[in-house]
Amino acid sequence: MSLDQVKRAPLPERRAHRAAGRGADGADGAAAGHRRRDRRAGRWWTPWLFLAPALLLFLYFKFIPMANALTMSFQEVQPYLGNRWVGTENYATVLGSDGFRDAAWHTVVLAAGQTAGSMLLGLALALLMEGQGRRLGFVRSAAFLPVVVPIAVVAELWRIMYHPTEDGMVNSLLGLVGFGPSGFINDPDSSLVSIMVTGIWRGAPYDMMIFLAGLASVDRGLYEAAKVDGASRFQRVRHVTVPGLRSVFSILFILAAIRGLRVFTEVFLLTNGGPDGSTEVVMTLIYKLGLEQNRLGVGAAGAVLLFLMTLILTIAVHLVRRRESK
Amino acid sequence: MRRSRWIGAGFLASALILTSCTSGPAGADVEQDSKATLQLWTRTTPGGPGEKGTLALAAAFEKATGHKVEVTAIFDDFETKLQQRAAQRDLPDIVMNDVTQLGAMHEQGLLREIDLDKIKHSKQLIAQGLGSGKSLDGKQFGLPYSAQATALLIRKDWREKLRLDTPRNWDDFTAMAEAFTTEDPDGDGKKNTFGLAAPLSTKRGYASWYFSNFLWAAGGDFITEAGDGTYEPAMTTEKSVKAVQWFRDLGCEDKAIQPGAVTMDTPPTNETFESGRTGMFAVGPYLLPRFDEVLGKDKYEVVPMPKGPKDATVLAEGGTIYLMAGSENQAGQDAFADFAVSAEGQRTGMRGETGFTVQLPVNKTVDISEVRPDPRWKTYAEVYRSSGRYAPSIPNWSAVRQTTAETVNALMADCDLDTRGELRDLDKKLADILEEQGIAAS
Repeated sequence: MSLDQVKRAPLPERRAHRAAGRGADGADGAAAGHRRRDRRAGRWWTPWLFLAPALLLFLYFKFIPMANALTMSFQEVQPYLGNRWVGTENYATVLGSDGFRDAAWHTVVLAAGQTAGSMLLGLALALLMEGQGRRLGFVRSAAFLPVVVPIAVVAELWRIMYHPTEDGMVNSLLGLVGFGPSGFINDPDSSLVSIMVTGIWRGAPYDMMIFLAGLASVDRGLYEAAKVDGASRFQRVRHVTVPGLRSVFSILFILAAIRGLRVFTEVFLLTNGGPDGSTEVVMTLIYKLGLEQNRLGVGAAGAVLLFLMTLILTIAVHLVRRRESK
Repeated sequence: MRRSRWIGAGFLASALILTSCTSGPAGADVEQDSKATLQLWTRTTPGGPGEKGTLALAAAFEKATGHKVEVTAIFDDFETKLQQRAAQRDLPDIVMNDVTQLGAMHEQGLLREIDLDKIKHSKQLIAQGLGSGKSLDGKQFGLPYSAQATALLIRKDWREKLRLDTPRNWDDFTAMAEAFTTEDPDGDGKKNTFGLAAPLSTKRGYASWYFSNFLWAAGGDFITEAGDGTYEPAMTTEKSVKAVQWFRDLGCEDKAIQPGAVTMDTPPTNETFESGRTGMFAVGPYLLPRFDEVLGKDKYEVVPMPKGPKDATVLAEGGTIYLMAGSENQAGQDAFADFAVSAEGQRTGMRGETGFTVQLPVNKTVDISEVRPDPRWKTYAEVYRSSGRYAPSIPNWSAVRQTTAETVNALMADCDLDTRGELRDLDKKLADILEEQGIAAS
């Protein structure tokens, strides 16, 4: 008998007393029982008390600014003259701007490309680096480096690599296989793909680490069974690994898609939406409208629209997951 | 459970109430305290020479007047951080920033009107500088403390090697740009040099900012005044179109602008000049100390911009002192503005090899040669006085600059675009901007 079991078992005397109490006065007994439950569960506000510091921080640094942004999206913002209500004019300005539809499309393309690319490359890296080997730890850490390098450094690094002349780093490699120098981020035709590649390079190792954690939970016996049944390496990955990682895929998809929709820093640092608006995304457009042109209300309206897009995507993925799990 | 939901709802409701409580106009009648320390924000790199120069100016001001000043240097996202402080109703007392920010800050009510009677040295200011601090309605909302204009930096050793004269007109300029691109001026046997350094990214409207030197020299304009403080778009006039076409040919036909210019802001563009990749750079005097150190004083020369089809008009810009709304020490604000534009303040601001806040003096009584005997500075001062032109003080010049930068960037990035078609679209956008700002000519 464990110590826990000893504690949980009521003493015979106490049990007898409780029975007597119930018999003598039912109401009294119920009240006593309620008090005991209270004592056991604590006051109703006890959990709130523990949560209060976090909630206050969230309230002040997240929810109040969010509510503020929502209010601002219906105003012409002039802090020292008094904000002026303009109804849905800011939303009309954002939605009616020439660049918004293009920016929204670029955002979706970039989010989809970076999400798919990062997941595929991350899975490939995870499959290559799965195992217990002593040197694998070092290799994994090295592969993870792009995630911990500051984005400003990443952008500068890729700017150097993308130098648009023959002596540029990537262009000299292309030259070896007979391709002419590409403009990369400087050419409207290739700029979006170039930024996508940078995003995949940075995002894939993050996905790799989560895939590695997921792979550890896949039953090894299934691999052996599949091997005995004559499955090829590819078939083992397709029919054992991928189904085993289904939950990892959906979590990564949500994370990567949200990250993709909110893409800003690499675009801002590498191209600032150019050349010829070819890499303009919703976040850079909001930044330009709100902060470079000092139209904070219009910027806030754009931010609310982006928030709604992200919310809809997240809910949609949750619904799909729930249906699948049923 | 139900109760916890109510509590959650209560939190959110409080947030919304708190939010709506903070959207009334700020009280203009702030209790005054002439001993309060003045908070001064300057747009310069923290820890850099610009900050040291501002600290020296603040120290001289403290010594002369007894007012205390606390200097904060911010370079990246200066306007964003200022907006954040505006949202908190806690603006610094004084801001030293670009003159082009005047319209936007004034429109948002961030600025206090300057009473020139309280700034006794304002009578010594150069007229065009003083004018740059006026809003569209003619009221003074900024006071210049420093001016700058664009001149042309040329690789002297390259020019002499190729036996070229300094360019006097656009034909000479094009010829030199082509020669620097094709005739291997650095003699390394590689085709790795280019005629002109140009930051043509859309960031902060750099493409438009740079191109304005050429647009105005051709007689073109982004927007043009149509009387009674109204404006109309002007990018489809023949002069504007020709300026765009000429500049575009430099990049698209002659390939004389550095590769990657369309995604470059100023730092990487500066590097192309100092690393010997580009041979000409149209820029203000603030880069001289940097290029002297990295490239060498003997390697380049400073000349006025060559004359365009119309004249040699160049972009004049400058640092402006803004007295911010809501200050509890307005007497201190006035005193600082007065000191900064006085001859003593200007000389203090110009001292030092690198750590100066005043590029070109705006006080008529100060001769730049007395403080800086280097003739290159004299060249800049003459260009500013004879050919400098400020951007108009419309309510929001940033919107015009940003929009025009996007079109210039597009035309330079994609050589297949139709110039006139793009400029027609740009004029429509500019018309909308002017309409939105309430200054469109009917």
